[in-house]
Amino acid sequence: MYADTQNEITRQVVRVAQLLLAYGADSELVEEISQRLGYALGLASVEISISSNSLVLTSLVHGRCITTTRRTREHGINMTIICELQRICLLTEKGVYGLNEVRKRVSRIQPRTYPKRYLVPMIGLSCASFCHLFGGDLAASILTFCASSVGMFVRLYIAKHHFNLLINFAVTAFVITLISQLGYQIPFTETPKLPMAASVLMLVPGFPMINSISDMVKGHLNVGISRWGHATLLTVSSVIGITMAMQLGGLFI
Amino acid sequence: MEQIIALVFSLLNDALFSAIPAVGFAMVFNVPKRFLPYCALAGAIGHSSRTLLLYIGLPIEWATFSAAALVGLITIGFAKRHLAPPLMYAVAAIIPMVPGTYAFNTVIALVQLTAQSENSPELTFQVISNGLKTVFILGALSVGLAMPGLLYFRSRSII
Repeated sequence: MYADTQNEITRQVVRVAQLLLAYGADSELVEEISQRLGYALGLASVEISISSNSLVLTSLVHGRCITTTRRTREHGINMTIICELQRICLLTEKGVYGLNEVRKRVSRIQPRTYPKRYLVPMIGLSCASFCHLFGGDLAASILTFCASSVGMFVRLYIAKHHFNLLINFAVTAFVITLISQLGYQIPFTETPKLPMAASVLMLVPGFPMINSISDMVKGHLNVGISRWGHATLLTVSSVIGITMAMQLGGLFI
Repeated sequence: MEQIIALVFSLLNDALFSAIPAVGFAMVFNVPKRFLPYCALAGAIGHSSRTLLLYIGLPIEWATFSAAALVGLITIGFAKRHLAPPLMYAVAAIIPMVPGTYAFNTVIALVQLTAQSENSPELTFQVISNGLKTVFILGALSVGLAMPGLLYFRSRSII
């Protein structure tokens, strides 16, 4: 294998690993996919070291090593991209894709998200179902629907303008709690507390939390701890938003 | 007999209203459209099995743990069939089991505790008991989800 081929293969493999990390895969999956892709493309070994915001990858063929480092940035969770990358890896293993196809497929990947007009009502419905599951009545569920739909709209709006995620969560929690307090101000529901509890559940950092535990139990301790820290910070900032709204509403003081 | 009918009805109610959040959160995580029904199915099975275990009389932490392990097992089955990562289905599916009310009660009691000038034992008790419940249920969820991978798929890859 010529040196420039090894260069090119290493570049594609590290690009795949970088994309996987940026769009929210756990460390075990990143390691597995990049190693399998490397072997399938003809490398003798691929070693990868992941930290909270960068990754180092070394490829070895015929006694020649190439080590390369990439900075990774969080881009939000996108499972469509993870699925696509895993499909590329599996098809390369089966011999369907060669290096050129892998390069073409990886460069063609675009993050596509669901449109706002579906996301906002679906999250509203989800939080309304939480309220129903917790035992709230119909009026409480409707209030939850309104509060969390507005909250999702605010969240997407702030995310579009590239604000810090922590600020986004605090402001969204503030808006949601401000609206869902209405059950206390105007007594139209028997269970005014449940909308407040149910509608902020759209801010649960589910993926960072589950990824952090699944990293930590599989031995990637430092990545796991950093993701845990991220999830905790997100929770704390939404708690700050909730507290500010409750103090503004004059409840529980 | 009436008891059993009521139980089945409440399980169906649970399944329906936990399938909706599973789909909603799967959409936030940008799960591809063709996998959304499987997220809903896993969410419905997870939450209604937890309700069943609670009905039998298990404490909520153990019920959550077993339900999360069941979700982990089901989603590994889905992942094998569709050649997709299992966490894609699993995270959306366990979101309905997140202990929202406990977490919220903890926060409220904390806020009240901060606003007060003297120490009140009831509020302190509320913070500690609700907070511990929240932490343990969250731990049970995430460790339970990892259980099938830890016990059965130890050294082989899932897909």
